[in-house]
Amino acid sequence: MSIRLNPNLLPDLLTAVQQSEQNMNTATEQLASGRSVNRLSDDPAAAAALVGNHNSTGQDDQFLRNVSSLQARFQVADSTLSNVVTVLTRAVAIGTEGANGTLSAADRQAVAGEVQGLTSQLLSLANTTYQGTYIFSGTAVKTQPFALNTTTNAVTYNGDANTTSVQFSNGNPISTSVPGSQLFQNASGDAFGALQNLNAALLSGNNIGAAVTQVQTALSTVSTQRVFYGNGLNQITLSENFLSQDKVNLSSQENALVGVDPAKAASDLVQAQVANQSILSATGRVLTLPTLLSFLK
Amino acid sequence: MGSLSAGLNIALQSLLTEEGAIQTTSNNIANVNTPGYARQRPDLAETPPVQLGHLTFGTGVELQHVTSLRDSILDLRVNQETQQQGKLNAFLGSAQQIQALFNETSGTGLQSSLTAFFSSVSQLSANPRDLNVRQGVLSAAQNLARAFNQSSSNLVTLQRNVDLAVSQSVTQINTLVAQIAPVNAQVAAAQATGQNAGPFVDQRQQLINQLSSLVDVSTIDAGNGSLTLTTSSGAPLVVGGQSFQLTTQPDPANGLQHVFSQGVDITAKITAGQLAGQLQVRDQEIPSLQKSLDTLAAGLATAVNTQHQAGFDLNGTAGGNFFVPPPVSGAGAASSLTLAITDPNKVAASASGAVGDNANANAILALQNQAVISGQTPLNFYSNLVFKLGNDVSSAQTDQQSGGLVLKQIQNLQGGVSGVDINEEAANLIRFQNAYQASAQVSSVIDTLMQTTINLIR
Repeated sequence: MSIRLNPNLLPDLLTAVQQSEQNMNTATEQLASGRSVNRLSDDPAAAAALVGNHNSTGQDDQFLRNVSSLQARFQVADSTLSNVVTVLTRAVAIGTEGANGTLSAADRQAVAGEVQGLTSQLLSLANTTYQGTYIFSGTAVKTQPFALNTTTNAVTYNGDANTTSVQFSNGNPISTSVPGSQLFQNASGDAFGALQNLNAALLSGNNIGAAVTQVQTALSTVSTQRVFYGNGLNQITLSENFLSQDKVNLSSQENALVGVDPAKAASDLVQAQVANQSILSATGRVLTLPTLLSFLK
Repeated sequence: MGSLSAGLNIALQSLLTEEGAIQTTSNNIANVNTPGYARQRPDLAETPPVQLGHLTFGTGVELQHVTSLRDSILDLRVNQETQQQGKLNAFLGSAQQIQALFNETSGTGLQSSLTAFFSSVSQLSANPRDLNVRQGVLSAAQNLARAFNQSSSNLVTLQRNVDLAVSQSVTQINTLVAQIAPVNAQVAAAQATGQNAGPFVDQRQQLINQLSSLVDVSTIDAGNGSLTLTTSSGAPLVVGGQSFQLTTQPDPANGLQHVFSQGVDITAKITAGQLAGQLQVRDQEIPSLQKSLDTLAAGLATAVNTQHQAGFDLNGTAGGNFFVPPPVSGAGAASSLTLAITDPNKVAASASGAVGDNANANAILALQNQAVISGQTPLNFYSNLVFKLGNDVSSAQTDQQSGGLVLKQIQNLQGGVSGVDINEEAANLIRFQNAYQASAQVSSVIDTLMQTTINLIR
């Protein structure tokens, strides 16, 4: 004799109906949201990893904004230094002209005047501002870095020798500036000093050749220092590429963590619908099954 | 020698017996959908025979008992599984609300505020002198503080709601306990007088099952058919015909209701049922989350403050506190987190005092990758919190599903013993109907025979 079964099939049937409805809901929710994890409990590990993923994406976004703001500043500095190079090259040309000895004293005086003009051009280039701050005054960005004493003709540096750095990705800081003292009053080539010496030499007619050499040294110093900005711009571009790529990676990582395969979700939905219909039809059939009483007259 | 009148008696007795059997069948069919009803069986038995000379005659049939068919062990198992389900259901009901507060899957949780704050510091590092950027840092920090405040106060609100539900559960328990006691006494009384106690047992089991979904009921057989109900820690609920009410009293420390039995605090000893699930959320899950949030808020505020004080603001003055310093114990840090400064000039981005210096902003930014919260970075600490919460809910769901399957199987076994089967009842009905018709036929034949006998005399 077999064991007596529970004659009440309804609870089992209703549980099965609920389960299939639950499956339909899950598949619909996944299709609608495009995510397989819609609550922390759906996949706690993925949800926790997602916290890190979203944070990294946020950081990358910020780093990219930093990139564009620094890029502009680097470009301004670089083009300013390019103008400085033009000024100093012109000074070398004038000096060479003055040194060949064919010029009269009056001509040399005129040429010296031009050098004086180049000095004030250099001064204004060295005091270039970007968005209201001086770009060659170290970290003392509100202080005009170079001032000309009109009586002594000496140029003094009022900025500081500090540099700043900005993070472009975690643990990868980029120096953002070179102090003006290092650019224009470097011990291995003082641009202002060289121009003043050239001016004095042209006026006096002595040691012009030495003064020209000095200007050439200053020119090569500025060119050397300018490489910093060129490299910086390259580094910024590299960082920009890296960050954009990293964002793509993070986004595909997010997709791997919580994304849903639409084809799979759609077929899950179809399966759940089929299951639901067959269970409903089974329920309908079981509930309307005839009993022994139906056969009694 | 037999007699006609004895035969007639047997036939009449049989009619009465079959009527009783049909009545039982009818009652079974009537209660086919009654929750907790256990099918009844008419127990028919031969009546004692009589000895007439050397002959032994049967004296017919009688309806000895009507027995309710139930398996008390299965009843017990159903109650036990119901307690676990009650606990898990109550826990999940609230825990799912909690995890919605930390919904990081949509990227709108605390993480976004945390990331935005450090992003604003990163922007400050790129533009240390820009007042708009400085204001941006303050706004982002304000949002972060508000996110902490909001999360914390949402948890408090949920805790208060659960606390209200605890009181309601205790009221439900008391109502059920008061209903069970008289039924328990009726079972004992029916058994003492030899009556069928089945219907009372049905009613009692149904009520105990409802009680099981609320609290961890432990059942002890008192021997005379009555049961003694206690909580699993031994606090009395029903003894014989007497019920014992639970009471609640607010904890003076936090205003949350504690459950008392006979003047003893049993709050921590309730292990199953809806009440236990509510207490687990109220006394463990929520406080643990609150504590983690407080640790995170306090650790972050302290680390930022320390670094901020090491720098100089735009006026060249040494930096002060950035956040209002959190309580030393850390308790309540999340709910009370606020900014100490409102003037963007006072953000100490410079390490040297020079207005263009960003070294201190870089140092504050670096805090996001330093183990400043209980040996973890702020983000790792938070993602662990998220993992733990999700995991608690997920494992409770798994337990609830597997426990639900077990419960359903036991209920099916119980149904196999006690459930009414219409087909079976219909078959019985036909049997009893046939027997009834036959007995009626017998009495009609005996009546004819008696007429014949009487006519002999005339």
